[in-house]
Amino acid sequence: MAAYDFDRVTVLLAEDSQFIRSLLINSLKILGVGRVIPVEDGSQAIEFLKLVKTDPMKAGVQQVDVIISNWDMSPVDGMMFLRWVRRHKESPDRFVPFIMVTGYTEPHRVVQAREMGLTEMLAKPFTISNIGERLSLIIERPRQFVHNNSYFGPDRRRQDLPHKGVEQRVLTDKSEGVEIVRG
Amino acid sequence: MAKAATKVRFYRFKNRLKEKCAGLGTGSASIPEELLAEAEAELSKMSEDYPDWVSSLIVKLQEQHGRCVDTPDKRKEHFLEIHHMSHDMKGQGGTFGYPLISAFADSLYSTTQSGSLYTDNDVELIKSHIDSMRAVIRGRVSGDGGDIGKQLTEGLNKAIEKHS
Repeated sequence: MAAYDFDRVTVLLAEDSQFIRSLLINSLKILGVGRVIPVEDGSQAIEFLKLVKTDPMKAGVQQVDVIISNWDMSPVDGMMFLRWVRRHKESPDRFVPFIMVTGYTEPHRVVQAREMGLTEMLAKPFTISNIGERLSLIIERPRQFVHNNSYFGPDRRRQDLPHKGVEQRVLTDKSEGVEIVRG
Repeated sequence: MAKAATKVRFYRFKNRLKEKCAGLGTGSASIPEELLAEAEAELSKMSEDYPDWVSSLIVKLQEQHGRCVDTPDKRKEHFLEIHHMSHDMKGQGGTFGYPLISAFADSLYSTTQSGSLYTDNDVELIKSHIDSMRAVIRGRVSGDGGDIGKQLTEGLNKAIEKHS
């Protein structure tokens, strides 16, 4: 099987723990990621993304390909950062894959992150394999984005499972009110 | 007839990230095993420094515990600080080969979550957690810790029973 070449990939990494940040930077570099931009919390990450949008030359990158962010950070935590990326008009790419690294594994937290438009979750404590798996997932199995009156983010339905009983998913691609955007 | 208002918009884009990492071909690619192994080796190297690093966090926990004893009227904020720190420690120990630190930090995280009454018993319980973590690091009890790990876990469980 061919090997990924991450040399042209830029990862924005928001992590307040210096120890974990170093580990992630080193791991991503060893895996061949061309640029890793480390920041210490969500507000620094937002400032960097604004710069990418307004002055990519100064930012030193044209585009951030993947965001990896811790959840529990201060003053701007990972959830507020994710919200900004997905919803704010100044966000340079509202569709960018967003991996949340977190020790929060309670079901209501997972749901909260999913509803905010998370791409993947990396539960702490993690292993190197876990990092590799998440990267492979976002490359090999990207999901369409969905925008309706209550949600914007990757399709929360990851599988097309057989369904017993009445089909309640009333909208298809051809239904009225459904718009497909390709690009 | 007027066009129906858009209820939902689906965005289906080309997989540009894959193009960037694996070219325009349709076959699947993967991360080479040897690179993952190299990253694992780097992690092992970093893990050697973990006990020193986490010791500094345990000292900070002790300081917060001391403040809980000295200034009972401010326990709520000290508990919150301990809660945050234990959350971080919970998420790190296992990665660096110390799952017992993660387990004890997880228990401390539950002990200090909102809803606590900030009693002297709760403060004692915080101390039991800190002592258990110190013992893990002092003895370099990595992995599940075998018999010593079991003893430490049982010791903490007894303390929890006593002070709950």
